[in-house]
Amino acid sequence: MEEVDRILIHSLRQTGTEIGEDVDSVKQFSSELIVEAVVRCLRVIDPSLGNGLTPTLPPGMSARFRLGMSLAQACQDLGYKGEIGYQTFLYSSEPEIRSLLMFLVEKLPRASAEASDQPAGKSALLQKAIAAQIRAQLALPWVPPTCRLPLLCQTQSAGVSGSFRSQALSLPHAKGLGKPPVKEVADYCRDFLLPVTAQPSQHASVPASLLERHALELSAAQEWENEWNSQGLLTRLSPEGYRSRKRARLQKRIEEQLRAAAQPRPNTQHAPRSGPDLAELLNSFGGVTAGGDVLAKGTRFTHTEKFTFTQEPETSAQQMAAAASAMPSSRQSEEDLLAQQQDELQALQHQLQQLSVRMEEVGGDMKQLSVSITQVSDELKQRELGNSEKEDSVRVKKQTIDLLPDAENNLAKLQTLVESSAKRVVSLASQWEKHRAPLIEERRRLKELCSNRELESSRKLSEIKDLHDKIRQSADEAKKKEGLYKQLITEFENLPKDVSRSAYTQRILEIVGNIRKQKEEITKILSDTKELQKEINSLTGKLDRTFAVTDELVFKDAKKDESVRKSYKYLAALHENCTQLIQTIEDTGTIMREIRDLEEQIETENGKKTVSNLEKILEDYKAIRQENSALAAKIREA
Amino acid sequence: MIKLLEKLPPTECPKFLHRVVDGVCGRDPPRFGDYGSTWSLPEWMEVLDGLSLFFRFAVGKKCSDEEVQESLLDLGGGHREAVLACLKGRGKEIRQALVERTNAVSSAQLHDFDWQIKLAMSSDKISSLQMALLSLSLDVKQGGALKPVTLELNREELQTLINSLEAANKVVLQLK
Repeated sequence: MEEVDRILIHSLRQTGTEIGEDVDSVKQFSSELIVEAVVRCLRVIDPSLGNGLTPTLPPGMSARFRLGMSLAQACQDLGYKGEIGYQTFLYSSEPEIRSLLMFLVEKLPRASAEASDQPAGKSALLQKAIAAQIRAQLALPWVPPTCRLPLLCQTQSAGVSGSFRSQALSLPHAKGLGKPPVKEVADYCRDFLLPVTAQPSQHASVPASLLERHALELSAAQEWENEWNSQGLLTRLSPEGYRSRKRARLQKRIEEQLRAAAQPRPNTQHAPRSGPDLAELLNSFGGVTAGGDVLAKGTRFTHTEKFTFTQEPETSAQQMAAAASAMPSSRQSEEDLLAQQQDELQALQHQLQQLSVRMEEVGGDMKQLSVSITQVSDELKQRELGNSEKEDSVRVKKQTIDLLPDAENNLAKLQTLVESSAKRVVSLASQWEKHRAPLIEERRRLKELCSNRELESSRKLSEIKDLHDKIRQSADEAKKKEGLYKQLITEFENLPKDVSRSAYTQRILEIVGNIRKQKEEITKILSDTKELQKEINSLTGKLDRTFAVTDELVFKDAKKDESVRKSYKYLAALHENCTQLIQTIEDTGTIMREIRDLEEQIETENGKKTVSNLEKILEDYKAIRQENSALAAKIREA
Repeated sequence: MIKLLEKLPPTECPKFLHRVVDGVCGRDPPRFGDYGSTWSLPEWMEVLDGLSLFFRFAVGKKCSDEEVQESLLDLGGGHREAVLACLKGRGKEIRQALVERTNAVSSAQLHDFDWQIKLAMSSDKISSLQMALLSLSLDVKQGGALKPVTLELNREELQTLINSLEAANKVVLQLK
């Protein structure tokens, strides 16, 4: 029983009942404690049922009675089969209370315990953490802003002060690790590069800038890896090759777009102007991917603009100065000079006109001449071609004429020549065939090999892809499991250590062993009883048979002999008496059993302290009546 | 206007030039207070603008060393060396900054973003709400000025936002 009581007390403590350290069995429970324990259990089992009840015992008798009744009603609603009333709580007997508490503890929801076992209890954990944090913060007193310590500042100041502002950072780049860096870069990094914490204009944006930089590089690397794994591997190029190809493709695309935009439109007037501009822009795109040049172009324009603006005043000033120096000397003969100049001007204009007319004439002549020159050169080429053709025909004819005098010989020679050449052609063809066959064979073989390799490589590629996927999956899984492991560890650490599980299991195993032993004994006794029963049955059978046989024998003789008849009578009487005896013995046994049962009942009834309870209940009744009468008197007074 | 640089002693020159490049790359340019004794304010503006323009021009056009030297002919030897060294050392960085600037040609550009998860435990109507809210603050650069935009999104709204951003990213990937 001690074990059971300890378990009960432990579970009751978990429900929030405050049980003193010195209480270690149900026997020591006071009425207040019982009421509190039952109410707490009811609250945990069914909040709607338990929330209407107070865990403290009220002082007034009628209120106590009401509380006890409602508690009993609630327990019966939950399905408690035993006898229960308000006196169970107020005037408790140990076994009743124990069975009631055991029933309630068994009814306590296990779901919460199961839920906390599962890893899905993350949100619950979070909520617990939040609740703990809020409780801690509420426990702290509010402190005026000027008196706050740094720890308080975190929780009591309003919101986050700094916003997230990032700036570009200059870092000696890790990419140059392979090759020695350029001297100027090294100089810069050594002498002028500020430490990274001093680079941003505000100190607060240092972490933001660093985070931004890191995220930038990370995402770039990730994107590249993704692309390389998904598309790059399939192209069977080296990374550099793939990159350059992609760059070329993008450039082409941009160029196409810009060209399409730069198409001159016939209707608009500005088209011829915007066309060349965009074309120029295109040219500037020629060697570069990015459009830094657009800006550079802008700067160049501004440069030229500045140049023209600065130059113009200078030249005009020079002219002015020249005019000024020329002025005083020529003042007297100004008019003469003017007339002279006009004459000269007219003469010169005339000359100019003449010259231009002549120029035009000469230009026309030149055009004509050049046309005729091309014509003539074409003719010349044709003639030359004709000439060479004719020369060829002449040569052939000449040869045939030379051969004519010795025609037959020459014919024979020619025929042999033709034959030999035909033979040679045939032999060459056969040789060619000979050469060709192995070559073709080789080619076929190589082709097959090539296709095989391609197949294999694609297979390997797919394998690599699969492996990549698997690696990623297993990494994810590992991460998940690690998280789970950590969570479980923390949960395990948080678990209450006072319940020694192994002791419980040992105890349970012992109990199970005991039960098994008892069971064996019971079966032994049962088998004994059965044997006895059998023996009894066989004995009664034997008795019956012997009695029947004796009865028959004696009955036969009884007709002849008077003494035998007497003995027959005795036999019958003996039999009857014996059966009566057996009957009596059986009856005694049943009566004894009944007596034992009754004794047990009496004991239990005695354990219930019915008489004292009745007395107490009577007293309660009296108390309630008194209260009622007092209340009635009060009402009357009022 | 770059000639004004000669007012600075050649030993001081590299440091100044590097700070100017910092300005080009989006960090703090050198302060007038530090060089107030060397140049007057108009001169300062001129020399700063001129140098920035020069650096952008030289990097943007991918000028060779000879071309750069040619354009720096009116500068003294020591100063010219300093400018050349600075250009060589920081070329990549300036180029990166120029690329970023060109990237930002659209009318509005996201410059920074920050987020906070808030868990609303309850509201005035519901005792246990347990709703996660994301407060997202975006710094949008519009016409050279940073404009803060702040949003509060619940789970579904955030999902729609992410979906639309992913769709946009897909389009960009297709362009590639």
